[in-house]
Amino acid sequence: MTLIVLLLVMLVVVVLFSLATGAVRISPETILSSLFGHPLTATQRIIVLQIRLPRVLASAVVGAALAISGLMFQGLFRNPLADPYVIGSSGGAVLGACIGIFFFSQFSFFGFSATAILAFAGSVITMAIVYSLARSNGRTNVITLLLAGFAMSTMLGYSSYFFEILDSGSNSNHLILLSWLHGVIGIPRWSQLAVTGMLLLLAALIATPMMRRLNTLALGDEYAHQLGLKVEYTRVGIILVGSLLTAVAVSLGGLISFAGLIVPHVARLLLGPDHVRLLPVTALFGAIFLVVADTLARSIFAPSEIPVGILMAFLGGPFFLYLLRKTKRSYLL
Amino acid sequence: MNPLLSFCNVSFGYEDRDVIRSASFDLQAGSCTALIGPNGAGKTTLLRLAAGTLQCRSGNVILNNESLHKFAIRDVARMVALVPQQLDVPFQFTVREVVEQGRTPYLGFLRGPMREDRMAVDRALELADITELQHRIFNELSGGERQRVKIALGLAQQPKLLLLDEPTQNLDIGRQIELIDLLHFLHSEGITIFASIHDLQLISGNFSSALLLSPDMLLMSGTPEEILQPSLLEKAFNCPPQRHPLLLERTQRYEKRAG
Repeated sequence: MTLIVLLLVMLVVVVLFSLATGAVRISPETILSSLFGHPLTATQRIIVLQIRLPRVLASAVVGAALAISGLMFQGLFRNPLADPYVIGSSGGAVLGACIGIFFFSQFSFFGFSATAILAFAGSVITMAIVYSLARSNGRTNVITLLLAGFAMSTMLGYSSYFFEILDSGSNSNHLILLSWLHGVIGIPRWSQLAVTGMLLLLAALIATPMMRRLNTLALGDEYAHQLGLKVEYTRVGIILVGSLLTAVAVSLGGLISFAGLIVPHVARLLLGPDHVRLLPVTALFGAIFLVVADTLARSIFAPSEIPVGILMAFLGGPFFLYLLRKTKRSYLL
Repeated sequence: MNPLLSFCNVSFGYEDRDVIRSASFDLQAGSCTALIGPNGAGKTTLLRLAAGTLQCRSGNVILNNESLHKFAIRDVARMVALVPQQLDVPFQFTVREVVEQGRTPYLGFLRGPMREDRMAVDRALELADITELQHRIFNELSGGERQRVKIALGLAQQPKLLLLDEPTQNLDIGRQIELIDLLHFLHSEGITIFASIHDLQLISGNFSSALLLSPDMLLMSGTPEEILQPSLLEKAFNCPPQRHPLLLERTQRYEKRAG
């Protein structure tokens, strides 16, 4: 509980600092005092409220969504190497979103754009394929999981380039595609932020009762079944919620690798593997982590920016290799 | 008195291979039964059929006068617990966190563990005598300690019938005896015990009845003395008595008596 409060405070501090960072420096105190009746100048208002705040909030949403879905997929596969990017779920979402942008940009369904729905569908379908390839006799074959995930992820991510060839006239689509593939957190519209934020909260809410079941699934499918758990339903539920979270993250930030891998792992080091306790901590920690990462990505080489997805690849890659090395022994056949 | 569990002409096979052919036996409540037989005879399969994780192809498994397949799995899980040979736990779960999973059949859709669940876990840890291990990491325990944790996990289900798949496998002789003592203790606490045991020496004196499962024979049941006949064992294990010290010893003893 104390940890959660601590993380909340940290999140607020990090958000403040992130708002203050950029080409125009506005001190955190100035931003803070604006909440207590010392208004910012008109320029500062535009920079903070219309440019930086949406982006900072978007990175918090992306971080939390990736971290929770990473936690769920790791629990489902009983393996700390699973992550929405590694197992191809993000790639599926990107492909789905591209189909949406290039072919169905006019359609919407109950207020959700076709893009968002197709991103979700792409993620679910990819997960179903990777999952069925990697499972045999109630066990996950780790090597098959990683290879199938890698193949799906690469294939789906880059197959998005085909849409560009089909639709070479549109420059804006090209930019969207590029930013997705590199993992750039853009400046979302407030409406987009509201919808994805709501979806994140909804998914976290549905995920809450699943956490206990992830603990039971850790004993293996057969044992979980013997304990009276409806294993099939639980798995489908986890895949759906995990894919929804991936789609939320992809729709705001594209392909961001390894955040869903590192965050649950570090949280597990602090708290142990009990998913019930991990969920809130992982979500908050993920948000903090990505706000920091995105702030770094736009300020290390200021005035130019690097995509946060590329920064994460450099941070996460070595971490993934370290994990692979550390856990190698237990996955030898 | 009606038996707690009965098999009536139960058959089961994996794809093209028949494993259990027309097995029939009764387990009385409060009994302590050993299941013996050669490798590959289907001991694990038989236990899984009894726990309801496998469905028999023909025949009927009856638990408490009701057909097993009529129960919801969680209702079976409140009466029958199966302690498997192997339990692989990913991540660094503590002993207590592992044992807590035994409460799953008592939890509702949204209802998490309550006081009574914590008490049941405490009791299970106490029965298996691993209270002091509860905060240790499961994956870092020794084989004998893990065996006790698996039993505690089963006990947290508060079962009437405890099924154990080769509980003495890979244990040294001291841990084997400790484990048999634990089974005795649980038996005296009113839990019906049904365990597959590969070490025939552990059976007489420790179990009230025995079942012999062999690929070439129908399932036989009886007292340990009736089942541990050299001629029967020789046939079931397909092994000449001279090659097996226990069989040899028993054969000689019988020959002496006869002579």
